Amino acid sequence: MNKVLKQVLGWFIAAIFFFPIYFWITVSIKKDKDIFALPPKLFDFEVSFAAYEEVFGISRFLYVEDMGAVRPGGGDFYMMPNLVDSIIIALGSTGIAMLISILAAYSLSRLPIRGQQHFMGWILSTRMMPPVAVAIPMFFIYKNIGLMDTHLGIIIIHALMNLPLAVLLMKSFFDDIPKDIDEAALLDGATRFFVFWRLVVPLAIGGIAATAVLCFIFSWTEFIFVLMLTQTGLKTIPVVSTSFVTSTGTAWDNMAALGTAAIIPAFIFILLVQRHLVRGLTLGSVKQ
Amino acid sequence: MAAQKSYSLPSFMNSDSSLPWLLPLITMLIVFAIIPFFYNIYLSFHEFVPAKRALLFVGWDNWIRLFTDGVFWGSLKVSLYYTFMCLLIQLVLGMGIALLIDSDDPGFGIIRSILTLTLVIPPAIAGMIFLIMEDANYGLIPWLLKSVGLIGPEDTILADPTLALWGVMIVDIWQWTPFMVLILVAGLRSLPSEPFESAVIDGARPFQVFRRLTLPMLHKVIAVAILIRGIDLWRMVDYVFVLTSGGPGTATYTLSLYSWQRFTFVQWGYGATISLFSLIVILIVGNAFIHFAKVKW
Repeated sequence: MNKVLKQVLGWFIAAIFFFPIYFWITVSIKKDKDIFALPPKLFDFEVSFAAYEEVFGISRFLYVEDMGAVRPGGGDFYMMPNLVDSIIIALGSTGIAMLISILAAYSLSRLPIRGQQHFMGWILSTRMMPPVAVAIPMFFIYKNIGLMDTHLGIIIIHALMNLPLAVLLMKSFFDDIPKDIDEAALLDGATRFFVFWRLVVPLAIGGIAATAVLCFIFSWTEFIFVLMLTQTGLKTIPVVSTSFVTSTGTAWDNMAALGTAAIIPAFIFILLVQRHLVRGLTLGSVKQ
Repeated sequence: MAAQKSYSLPSFMNSDSSLPWLLPLITMLIVFAIIPFFYNIYLSFHEFVPAKRALLFVGWDNWIRLFTDGVFWGSLKVSLYYTFMCLLIQLVLGMGIALLIDSDDPGFGIIRSILTLTLVIPPAIAGMIFLIMEDANYGLIPWLLKSVGLIGPEDTILADPTLALWGVMIVDIWQWTPFMVLILVAGLRSLPSEPFESAVIDGARPFQVFRRLTLPMLHKVIAVAILIRGIDLWRMVDYVFVLTSGGPGTATYTLSLYSWQRFTFVQWGYGATISLFSLIVILIVGNAFIHFAKVKW
């Protein structure tokens, strides 16, 4: 195919896929009259950062004046606590998932295991479970053991959700490191744990970072577990963003401001680990 | 190896047995995957009885109700249709785009980077983005469709029983077609170039090359992409939750959404039964696919 035509088509497709993101970002800095304008105002709108001020409480820090004027839904749109909840949960669940998966993946990659294929099949089957099928029983279990509505409860369930990904992905990264390194060090009298912690883990650090980023993003974007396993104690960004839609109207600009703030960090993270992205999305089975 | 003394502390980890290494993972999987699974089975034989304010044993009632419930069959149909159609469209579209942007020319790296962006948007927020774009009064998409005359001036997308599901599917297609593209591009890049060069020398037409060379050589990558995408399509609940909440009526209920909805109506046993059904289907189909498509990890 003609090279120029290929370029044009390629950029056209990229533009189509980027358009909704662009549109969403403009909603966050538009005023109501421009949001609802038809034909849509894509470039020539009045820029306003009022939505960001409200959502992140900037005005709360600068002056005492109350921002809670009458808005659609009439609610309070100060979202900082939810952003903090999201960060705590994503960091905590990533930490737990990584700790467990690095240990497990090392042994899956290096040590003899009876029935390894079945065990891997079991891990993969866990990846298939619909969130609802886990969340309904977890609702009752959490009620009984007091994890309902707590950060720890969500951290654990998100860690579980990410374990199949993390284990399989880390195994594929460990598999890339020659086993001769282990053998040689063990012959020299090093202990297993020393080999693992001092030799193999440092060599896999790029893979560990990529896996952690993916775990973080999947926890950051998760919806149904948080919806079903929390009540009033905490809410993450995806769940709280649905609360902007009320029977009396929707605070689109605030919702878009929160949404934009939630996706920009994820964009930066994902571009940093782009090299390992496909391997991550396929749980380690397709290498770039 | 002088430093190794300080690392001999967790001595159980120095054995060549794999059990200590796997113990945290196995514990986690038993407590949070096996126990919920059996608890789900237990729930499917119980139901909350409001009059007695208690969860009582009801035998096979939930399962009998499941197979005689028209809404359940409707939601099963929606789930199947949604999974199959999205998978097909994403695969075909993804393959087309992948073939187009599988190039070392300057610019295509940036195009691939732009395509990764949709993947990290929380699905609930992706739903919101399309909720405003598909809004009946000031949405961009209905306005566009009306101006070219594809739908009537009074028509809506998300409130229309036949169009609503497509209104949801378009979000999935937008967000996850790049998933297919990136995986297929990675697959294409890993192919050896010799067979393609000799095919061109032998005078094969582009379509023949694709049919006879590209597709067979990519089958493993395609199988993995179908498996992972298929699982996630089957489990999808965020988009319908945000865009239609299952409406209009029950036109866009998926199994997961219906299960969640029954759960919120305090029909805990029945909700668990629906989710268990959905789980069993994906476990059987998923593992059968892994077996027959010879997907290996």
